Amino acid sequence: MTVIGPPIAQRQTLAERLDLIVTPIFAVILGIVGGAVWLYSDIDDTTRAILAPEKLYTQLIETIILGFASSVLVILVAIPIGIAVTRRGLPRLKNFLVDTLGLAQALPAYGLIVLFFSWLGTGMFTVIVALATFSLLPVLRNTIVGLEQVDQAVIEAGRGMGYTKRQVLFQIELPLAVPVIIAGIRTAIVINIGMAALAFLVGGGGLGETINSGLKLDRNPAILIGAVLVAILALIFDFITAVAQRYLKPKGM
Amino acid sequence: MDFFLSLWSFMASRGDEIQTGLIEHSIYVVSVLLSAGLFSITTGILTRRNVLAKELALSITSIFLTLPSLALFTIFIPLVGLGFAPSFIALFLYSLLPILRNTITGLDGIDYSVLDAARGMGMAPRQVLLRVQLPLAWPVILAGIRVSAMLIVGIAAIATLVAGGGLGDFIKDGLARLPLANSLESIWAGTLLCVLLALVIDLALQLLKRATISRGIR
Amino acid sequence: MSTPLIRLENVTKTYPGTEAPAVGNLTMDVYEGEVLVLVGPSGCGKSTTLRLINRLIEPSSGRIYLHGEDVTDIDASELRRKMGYVIQQVGLFPHRTIAENIATVPKLLGWDKARIADRVDELLELVSMDPKSYRDRYPKELSGGQAQRVGVARALAADPDVLLMDEPFGAIDPITRDRLQNEFLRLQQDLKKTIVFVTHDIDEAIKMGNRIAILREASEIAQIDTPEFILSDPADEFVENFLGSGAILKGLTLKKVRDIDLHDIPALEMPVMRDEALKVLEQSPEKTAVLLDKDHKPLRWISEASLNRTSQPIEKSGKPITVDLQPEDTLQDALGVMLQSSVGMAVVVDRKGKYLGCCSIESLASLIIGGYGAQGAV
Repeated sequence: MTVIGPPIAQRQTLAERLDLIVTPIFAVILGIVGGAVWLYSDIDDTTRAILAPEKLYTQLIETIILGFASSVLVILVAIPIGIAVTRRGLPRLKNFLVDTLGLAQALPAYGLIVLFFSWLGTGMFTVIVALATFSLLPVLRNTIVGLEQVDQAVIEAGRGMGYTKRQVLFQIELPLAVPVIIAGIRTAIVINIGMAALAFLVGGGGLGETINSGLKLDRNPAILIGAVLVAILALIFDFITAVAQRYLKPKGM
Repeated sequence: MDFFLSLWSFMASRGDEIQTGLIEHSIYVVSVLLSAGLFSITTGILTRRNVLAKELALSITSIFLTLPSLALFTIFIPLVGLGFAPSFIALFLYSLLPILRNTITGLDGIDYSVLDAARGMGMAPRQVLLRVQLPLAWPVILAGIRVSAMLIVGIAAIATLVAGGGLGDFIKDGLARLPLANSLESIWAGTLLCVLLALVIDLALQLLKRATISRGIR
Repeated sequence: MSTPLIRLENVTKTYPGTEAPAVGNLTMDVYEGEVLVLVGPSGCGKSTTLRLINRLIEPSSGRIYLHGEDVTDIDASELRRKMGYVIQQVGLFPHRTIAENIATVPKLLGWDKARIADRVDELLELVSMDPKSYRDRYPKELSGGQAQRVGVARALAADPDVLLMDEPFGAIDPITRDRLQNEFLRLQQDLKKTIVFVTHDIDEAIKMGNRIAILREASEIAQIDTPEFILSDPADEFVENFLGSGAILKGLTLKKVRDIDLHDIPALEMPVMRDEALKVLEQSPEKTAVLLDKDHKPLRWISEASLNRTSQPIEKSGKPITVDLQPEDTLQDALGVMLQSSVGMAVVVDRKGKYLGCCSIESLASLIIGGYGAQGAV
C-alpha cells in the first residue's frame, strides 16, 4: 500500500534541501560583501583598531559561548517544564501558558537584557540568563505542541501493552515529538546568537562590540564587517542545527 | 510597591516622551505591516503554483529572520544612513516570513472541492482568487500578520541603537544613567510600554478579524 | 463450570464529577479458551469494561481476578504485559519498524534477541504476512488491514493467555473486515486463547463469539449466553430490539441443512417412462418431482404440466437442476440456493452427489417458527 502522497513528502524534503543550500549561499554572499568592504573601502587606523583580529576573535568566541550556553540552559529548563505541563491533570496551566506565550513574543529582548543587567550586574552570565528567558518561549511552546500532537492511539497501545508512564514518555512520546521540539530549539538558537550581539550593552562582550564601536566612531566599514560577521555566525549555527534536525528525525515518520 | 509608585510617577511626568515613543513605535508597526503584508501576500499568491519558487521564497525570508537583529539594523547604514530608514528596512525584512508562510499555508489549506466548484461555475482564475481563495485564506494570513506584529513590537526597541527612535529610547536612556535616579523606571517604562502596545495591537487585530472574517468560517 | 480465567467482581467505575456510573456493579466471568463478546449500544460502557480488565481504567470499587488471583492492586504495567491488547486504530509505533513493534512486550519481559527475532517471524507468518518483506518496513507503509494484522501479531508476541480486543476491525472496509474475521477465527481454533472482544455490531458478535454479553447502560448485563440461545430466547425487549428484526436471518447462519427435516417429494430414477412419471405425479400431493440419473444424482425438476407440454423425452422436460446443497451447508446458504432455483426448493446431496432429499422453504419456516432450540449448535 502506498506511503503518504508524494506531494507532501516531496515538499518537505525540498524545503529541507533548500534550507541546506540557500543558507550557505547566503553566508558566502555576506562573506563576499564583507571581504569587498575590507578590500575596497577606506580603512583608516581607527577602523583597523576596531577590527583587530584578536579582538574579533575574542568577540567571536564570546558570542558563540553566549549563544550556546543560553541555548543549553533553555533546553534544560523548557523541555522538562513542557513535559510536566502536558501530563494529565494540568490542562488549565498548559492552556494558560500556551495563550500567554503568543503575546510574550512582543517582549523586547533589548529591554530584558538591560533589566537583567540591573538585577544581576554586568557580565556574560547576565546575558546568558536574559537570553534564556527570552528564548524559553519557542522551546516551551514547541515541546508542548510536539507532545500533544502524538497520536493518542499510539500512546494508548503503548500503555495497554504494559509500558509504564515513564516508558511511554521516553520511548514513545518524546521520540515522536522530537521533530517539533528540535524546530523550537533551532529557533531558540538563532534567537540567542542574534541577541548575543546585544551583549555589549551590558558588558557581555561579543561581536556587537565591533558594531557599536563602528557606530560610535562613525566608521561604516567597521559597522558592516561587524554586522556581516555576526550574521554569518548565526547562519552557521542555523545550518548546523538544520543538519542535526534532519538526522535526529526518527525513521518511519 | 515603592517601585510601582516611582514608575507611575515617572511615566506620568514624561507624558510627551511617552507619546512620542508610542507614536514612533506605532509608525514602525503600521508601516512595516502594511508594506511587508502587501509584499508577502503578493509573493505568496504569485509563487503558489510553482513549488520551487515557493520554497525559495520561504527559504530566503526565513534567512532574514535568522540574521541577528542588530546586524540587520546596522548593515544598511552605509547605504541609507541612520535613523528611520535602516530600522524600517530591517523590520520589513523580518516581518516577511510569518506573513508569507501563512499566506502559502492558508491558500494551500483550502478545500479543493470549493475551488473546483468555483471554477466549475465559470469563475475566471482571478475571480476565484479574489472572491474565494483570499477570503478563505484570510484567517490564516491574519494569524501570520499577528505574529509579525508581535515580532516588530519587540524588535523595534532596537531602533534606538541606530537613532531610529521608538520606545527603545527609554531603555537606552535608562541604561546609560544606571544606577542614577529614575534609570530603572525608564527601563521598565520602555519594556512595559512595548508589552502594552503589543496588547493594543493584538486587540486591534482581533477586531479586524471580527470585522473581516465571515461568520461562516470563524 | 471450571474456575473462570478472568473474573470481575462487583466492579464499579464512576468518573469524578458525574453521578451515574460508567460501569455499575458488574460481575462477569470469562472462561478459559472462550471468545466472550461484549456488545451493546454506544455509551453503554463496553469499552470501559474491557479496559477495567487490564486496568487502563482503575475500578472505583470491586475486585478483578486473573487465574484466581486478585490483581486489583498489583502493578498495572506488569499486569498488562500478561495480556494482549488490540484497539481499533491499532496504535502501531510509527517510529519503529514492524519487527520492533511486535518485539515490544518480549523486550519488556527481557527475552533474548534471538528468541525475539524468531518469534517476530513466527507471528508474521501466523498473520499471513511474509516476514522477509515486512519486518523492516514502517507502519506508514501498510494498509489498514495489514496494520491491524500487525496489531494482532504484536498483541500475541509474548504469548499471553488473554487477549483484549476493542473493536479491532471497526476501522476497516467490509470486505477486508470479513476476511480478517475469518482468519482470526481460524487462528483462534489453533491458539485457543481467552478473548474478550468488544463490538457494537451484533452480526460480528454472533459470528465471533462463543458467548455474547449484551450490555445495557452502565454495562449492566441484559443477557449473557451463547449466540443461539440469545437468538432463540431473548431475555427482554431491550435484547430483542438490539438483535433487531434481522435476528431470524442472523440465526440462519448458525444452523445447518442437516438440522432440518428434508421434504419428501417423489424421486424418479432413470430410466423411467413418461407415463409412469405422470402416474406418480398424479398420485402424489406434490406437483413437482425430482428426476435422478442412473447414479442417483439429481437431473431435473419434473412437473405434470412440463411433461404434458412437450413431446420430448423425459430427460429433456422440466427444468434442469443446477445447484445443490450439502448437509454441512448453513441454512443461510440453503435459503440463497432455494431462492435461486425456479421451484422454491433445493436438492440436498451427499458428498458423492447422490440425492438425499429436498429442502423447501416450508421446512425452513417451520424450523424458524419452532425456534432454533436451546441446544448448542455445531
